[in-house]
Amino acid sequence: MAAEGSWRELSPQVWETVVTPCDCCGQVVARRLWVVEVAGDERRFCSPECEALYRDYVVARRR
Amino acid sequence: MAIDPVTLTVLGNAFVNICREMGVTMIRTAFSPIFNEGLDFSCVLFDRRGNMIGQAEFCPAQIAASLFIVRWTLEELGVDAFEPGDVVLHNDPYRGGAHIPEHSVMRPVFHEGELFGFVANVGHLAEIGGKAVGSFAADATEVFQEGLRIPPVKIVKRDENDLELWRLIMANHRTPRNTWGDLNAQIGSLRVAERRVLELLDRYGRGFVEQAADELMDYSERWMRAEIAAIPDGVYEFTERMEDDGVVDRPVAFHVAVTVSGDELVVDWTGTDPQVRGPINATYGVTAGATYNAVFHLTDMAIPKNSGAYRPIRIIAPPGSAVNVVYPGPSVGGNTETHPKLADMVVAALAPALPDRAAAAEGGTACNFLFGGVHPKTGDYYANYHLEGGGWGAKSYDDGNDAVVVKNGNCRNTPVEIFETRYPLRVVEYSLIPDSGGPGRMRGGLGTRRVLRVEEGAEVTVNALFDRTKPGFGAYGLAGGGAGGPAAILVKRAGDSDFRTFSEAFGTVSPSKFTNILLRGGDEVRIDSPGGGGWGDPRERDPARLAEDVAQGFVSEAAARELYGASPGGRAGAAELP
Repeated sequence: MAAEGSWRELSPQVWETVVTPCDCCGQVVARRLWVVEVAGDERRFCSPECEALYRDYVVARRR
Repeated sequence: MAIDPVTLTVLGNAFVNICREMGVTMIRTAFSPIFNEGLDFSCVLFDRRGNMIGQAEFCPAQIAASLFIVRWTLEELGVDAFEPGDVVLHNDPYRGGAHIPEHSVMRPVFHEGELFGFVANVGHLAEIGGKAVGSFAADATEVFQEGLRIPPVKIVKRDENDLELWRLIMANHRTPRNTWGDLNAQIGSLRVAERRVLELLDRYGRGFVEQAADELMDYSERWMRAEIAAIPDGVYEFTERMEDDGVVDRPVAFHVAVTVSGDELVVDWTGTDPQVRGPINATYGVTAGATYNAVFHLTDMAIPKNSGAYRPIRIIAPPGSAVNVVYPGPSVGGNTETHPKLADMVVAALAPALPDRAAAAEGGTACNFLFGGVHPKTGDYYANYHLEGGGWGAKSYDDGNDAVVVKNGNCRNTPVEIFETRYPLRVVEYSLIPDSGGPGRMRGGLGTRRVLRVEEGAEVTVNALFDRTKPGFGAYGLAGGGAGGPAAILVKRAGDSDFRTFSEAFGTVSPSKFTNILLRGGDEVRIDSPGGGGWGDPRERDPARLAEDVAQGFVSEAAARELYGASPGGRAGAAELP
């Protein structure tokens, strides 16, 4: 079951040249992060679909 | 109402042909052999939402890179940032690129004032600065040593070159005239493609073409899902190693777990070693590209290559690992050495489920050999990026191909004449290496040997980024097949009688990955590309095929006896085996 998530806009400064990866798949998040709390920790995903993959696959494999 | 299949096919082929024409334009107008001989580029067509709707069959290394570069650039800049006649340039390996020498250009296509989509291509520029000539620093520890990094920027604004930006780029490349020619070939080919897209839109109408693109993507998705659904559900795993990273003399391990669940795949690279110091780290674009490359090798080759085909495939590439490098880690070799191994790993993992579709491992190294200097006859600075074809893996139904560039390259072997007319080098030998194909019921493809001699009076600075040179790292076989022969990059100084490794001759940390070695007239370099792995028990090889191998010199008589079990008057025939 997905928790409540929210979109967070990225507004990097001109000197910030490092990109942000998705916590699940590792893809670059170019503009908007899907931010969710999972087991007490903030997780940043590229999309709600990746959040679902994280919960259904990654977390399940670690159990 | 759905478009009829014939019209849909016509439009699908039109998308691909536009991309092909883009490529032919580059071949005919670029300055560097890596474009017009090597074909190290890809050409793609996108809709305005960033979906890839057409792709020509050039360089598979850029399969995913081109997908992500356009989509992420659109997200980063915003679609409103594009005006007619703009061209955005970008080579950032952390933003979807495969490695820093590959430069992407994308141009919006407006039809009657409305944005239809984008034409784009990715091309490998032969020299972009950095610590090593040819911008392939095999001992780089940071991206800054690999060349000039360019985030998405407009190099052309409303059909006017931004010459300030051009000057900045030119000042940081060793062969700026070639950069000018090659980048303009890329940009010019976009104009050709834009013209063809507009002709298509005029003929069929924008709404109809957009509908066709959507239907083609859905069609590809359905087809890919059907192919995946035919694979038995399960988790399939495989592990592979690279001999070293060019900086630390220690193997690097890669791991993949492929989960097949109904009509979807999750390809998880968790368990791979952490990011390494040397430049064999893969970018996300490389790892995704290798994954897609493998899936396309295992599924019906007729599936139209567009974004729809990728939808059922999910990829997990942990950031900070050797399959998803993070800033400021180096990655130039990830695209050439790591991609083919990752692709083969997915194939090998699924081999138990798809034995008649999975090939044994290929050579798995592009044998990157880069050289440059001042040409003694012209006084001009030159630089060249050369890659060498090796053996491919055998399949259950046939031998592996000989002398073919790695499966992410699809590039051509450079002709002898190019070396001898453009650079101060002589090609002393170019041949297939006997016994380099992994033994098997089906034999692995053969590697090649090329010996280059520096002309008298010339000095050439060389770099190399190879793999599979050490014992135990050969291309593995499947179903009982043996490993392919090793790669080698060796040197014989003028006056020496034997070839030695560069570690022996120059003290390099790695025998296969080094930078900035100066060679002089009379020195020779030997490039051996590796052989492919074999498939099945070699003692079950068809005697007629083995006899032909011996007659052609592909397999020695000794190997025929020892590895294939041939005997005088026996399986390979008395005439062939004394």
